[in-house]
Amino acid sequence: MDELLEILQDIDDSVDYETETALIDNHILDSFGIITLISEIEETFDVEVDAAEMTPENFNSAAAMWKMIQRLQEN
Amino acid sequence: MAIYTNLYLLIFLPAVLILYQLVPRKARWGVLLAASYALYITFSKYLVLLLMATAAFTWRIGLWMDRIGEECVRKQAECTDKKQKKAVKEDFQKKRVWVLRLGVLVLLGILFYVNYYNFVAGNINILIGRFAKLPIVKVMFPMGISFYTLEAVGYLADVYWERYPAEKHLGKVALFLSFFPQIMEGPIARFPDTSEALFAGEPLNMANINEGFLRIIWGLFKKMIISDRISYLTDYIYGNYKEYHGSFIILAAIAYTVQLYLEFSGSIDIVIGSGKLFGVTIPENFNQPFSAQSAAEFWRRWHMSLGNWFRNYVFYPVTVSAPVKNWNKTARKKYGKYWAMVGTSAMALFPVWLATGVWHGAGWKYLFYGMYYFVILFFGEAIKPFKEKNYERLGISFDAKPMKIIRILKTWVIIFTGELFFRADSLSIGFRMFFSIFGNFHISSIWKYMPDVVSAGDLWAIVIGSIIVWIVGFLKEQGLDIRGKILGARTPAKWCVYYLIIFSILLFGAYGTGYQPVDLIYAGF
Repeated sequence: MDELLEILQDIDDSVDYETETALIDNHILDSFGIITLISEIEETFDVEVDAAEMTPENFNSAAAMWKMIQRLQEN
Repeated sequence: MAIYTNLYLLIFLPAVLILYQLVPRKARWGVLLAASYALYITFSKYLVLLLMATAAFTWRIGLWMDRIGEECVRKQAECTDKKQKKAVKEDFQKKRVWVLRLGVLVLLGILFYVNYYNFVAGNINILIGRFAKLPIVKVMFPMGISFYTLEAVGYLADVYWERYPAEKHLGKVALFLSFFPQIMEGPIARFPDTSEALFAGEPLNMANINEGFLRIIWGLFKKMIISDRISYLTDYIYGNYKEYHGSFIILAAIAYTVQLYLEFSGSIDIVIGSGKLFGVTIPENFNQPFSAQSAAEFWRRWHMSLGNWFRNYVFYPVTVSAPVKNWNKTARKKYGKYWAMVGTSAMALFPVWLATGVWHGAGWKYLFYGMYYFVILFFGEAIKPFKEKNYERLGISFDAKPMKIIRILKTWVIIFTGELFFRADSLSIGFRMFFSIFGNFHISSIWKYMPDVVSAGDLWAIVIGSIIVWIVGFLKEQGLDIRGKILGARTPAKWCVYYLIIFSILLFGAYGTGYQPVDLIYAGF
């Protein structure tokens, strides 16, 4: 989880990722932030994020992202 | 029967409401579907059969994908290890993707044929006309095809990605694609947005009727008092563009943008209000777009349902597609993170804006419109890190009010320029008008030519109406929801507001002698 928070801080350090739960819904993470985020997540956690995973529910909070990463690692 | 006409508002809509309430709850979806097809017939006659066939086809393809998925689960249950299970899954996913491709190809194929065949054939004929000619065909335009096709494609993609199961009831898919308020101008909904409420057959209630009614009259206010009046001004200037230049062309571009916004958002108010009467919450399509501080933010606030569709079904899938990801990985190692992001952005943004341009219609000016925003958004993103550094270096706060105002004004210039080309009769006329801005520029020509194109009475109605709409929008941006306040007020106060809006429309609406009904712009897409 710490590694994920570091990635997010690199993209935008003005957000409190431990509490924010509407990163996509409130456009805090824009489309370009998502591009960087996907590359970083895939490289760091050795997972493949495919189109089916691209939903606000998976990216609205750091906790939701972490849950998705763990699920992808299990598969 | 357009949704702003008396026939729709005073006869069709009340009749459907009464019928809806009279029939048993289980049959109410049937009333809505029958009403939707009846309204559709008034626009597109026998092409209602195409709308019905699209619903049946979409429903069938969805079920087909689900059946393959169920078969996959059964086969996986017979597997003994994880590796085997994965192989079975991959095998069945291949089958599912072919079914999805078939569905999307047929749906987009029809859209392409109806909207773009003649445009493409005409241009091919210009190139190779000396050797062979493609026939130019007479195609009848099925109303709303650009909207319901995107809804159908979105539904199939979501079923493929297993975001929700395919709908077993054909009527539910058919109603989702054809619900009568939405069919002309959207908004483009996703299946979970409206399908449950459309099918639930909730009885009518006063809260929904109040909310829906207020929204409808507010939409009429925007369209009939302001937008329809501006349309005479813009039609005149764009129709006689050769006679005008300089500041008057700028005025035309601004006026058209305001007209388009008030007309499109006004009709969306009528759409959302009509849905609300039946207890159906249709997604919003606008969120004070002129408060945007960048072109990217503008598109998150303007025609939001189209932007969301392209983000979900083009931008994200392209971003995570194998070729783009492979390029990104290589580029990160070779050129660094920044250039990899710039390249990936270009690859993901280009198809989005090409499709956005093309979606609006067949014509070079629409392609130009899409590419115009592609270039602005792409460079906006590419220079973002340098811009932030510049702010820091100059010691200017990004959030300082003057900077916000400058960014808003800069965004307005981008929007007005884009709409100048969007409204022009052709791309070459658009360029001619654009360059004529810089010739013979005198602010005074606005006052000189204004009486040619708009009467003093119309001008006052436009200005005062626009100020009212702007104040309501501004207060909403500050967190004060005027609509909510009116709905929460006591009945006499609420009705005072209703009467005020209705009498304004009756007194100042652009109808009757000297005015022609103005067609909805987006209904033509």
